[in-house]
Amino acid sequence: MTDGELVQQVLNGNEHAFRFLVANHQRLVLHVVGRIVKQQEDVEDVCQEVFMKVFRKIKNFRGDSKLSTWIATIAYNTGISYVRSKNRKNEKESDDLTNFYSRSDNWQGHHTVEREEAKKILGELIEELPVNYRTVLTLFHLEEFSYKEIEEITGMPEGTVKSYLSRARNLLKEKLDKIIASEKINIFLNYAEY
Amino acid sequence: MQNIDKHKDSDQLLDEILSKPPEFVLPFDFAARIAAKAAGKFYWRQYMMEFLVYIGTFTGLVAVILAMNYFWFTDNWHSWKQFFSDNLSIVIGINVIGLFILFADRVLLQYFCYRFSRKKHVSGKLW
Repeated sequence: MTDGELVQQVLNGNEHAFRFLVANHQRLVLHVVGRIVKQQEDVEDVCQEVFMKVFRKIKNFRGDSKLSTWIATIAYNTGISYVRSKNRKNEKESDDLTNFYSRSDNWQGHHTVEREEAKKILGELIEELPVNYRTVLTLFHLEEFSYKEIEEITGMPEGTVKSYLSRARNLLKEKLDKIIASEKINIFLNYAEY
Repeated sequence: MQNIDKHKDSDQLLDEILSKPPEFVLPFDFAARIAAKAAGKFYWRQYMMEFLVYIGTFTGLVAVILAMNYFWFTDNWHSWKQFFSDNLSIVIGINVIGLFILFADRVLLQYFCYRFSRKKHVSGKLW
């Protein structure tokens, strides 16, 4: 079934078609929203809001882009609005890299850093990146969107997307190299097994 | 050589981490729940549209009758005008009751019937 046919079925009120649409795109929405909204308990609510918006706005989908790109745009905008409204109420999430730099390098002092532990640390470091960096990384690496599609989803110019990607990657690489250099490292000890 | 390998390996590790999905997942019935909610909204909107079409048709008819009275039956128009201004509260009351009955019949009853049939369908599936 093509995107257009699926959209037409949803517009006709076919519940099964919409269920199919949700099932097919829930992973994408979860990844986009999950990277933007840090509070796991709110992720499901935001995902639900995204799909209800999709349902409300689906008559505006003209097929200029892929359905997944269009849904990702809604997920991105909903996630960002949620974070902004939350920030207005609570403490503001920094848009720069202050949090990332100020994070203590808590692996130092360990005698060995296992590969799994390094992955965990890097996972946490990704969470410390500003929201734009996290989103761009997720869209590019996890969902494998092109630069053009990321530009469409986030509204950032292609150059900015590329710059965010390379900067985020370099920062993470820098931290990873620090982990490697810090102590006796086991990260790559059993790499052949994987 | 070792450094080059480490560099390559750290890139590989970074790629692995960046393409790793987040750990949290959505409930298994997420799609079904969302679709049911959306279907509820779809039917509610349909029934509301139907109700608005009824209201529009009725209002249009009344407007045509009033216009005819105004232009062609001027004497009747004055007596009707007098009647309405004397019994304004009764006229408004009847209209509100009429609207409510129409709303209950076209929207509420249909929507509850839909919800009921859905519940029956779901419980039928369960048993």
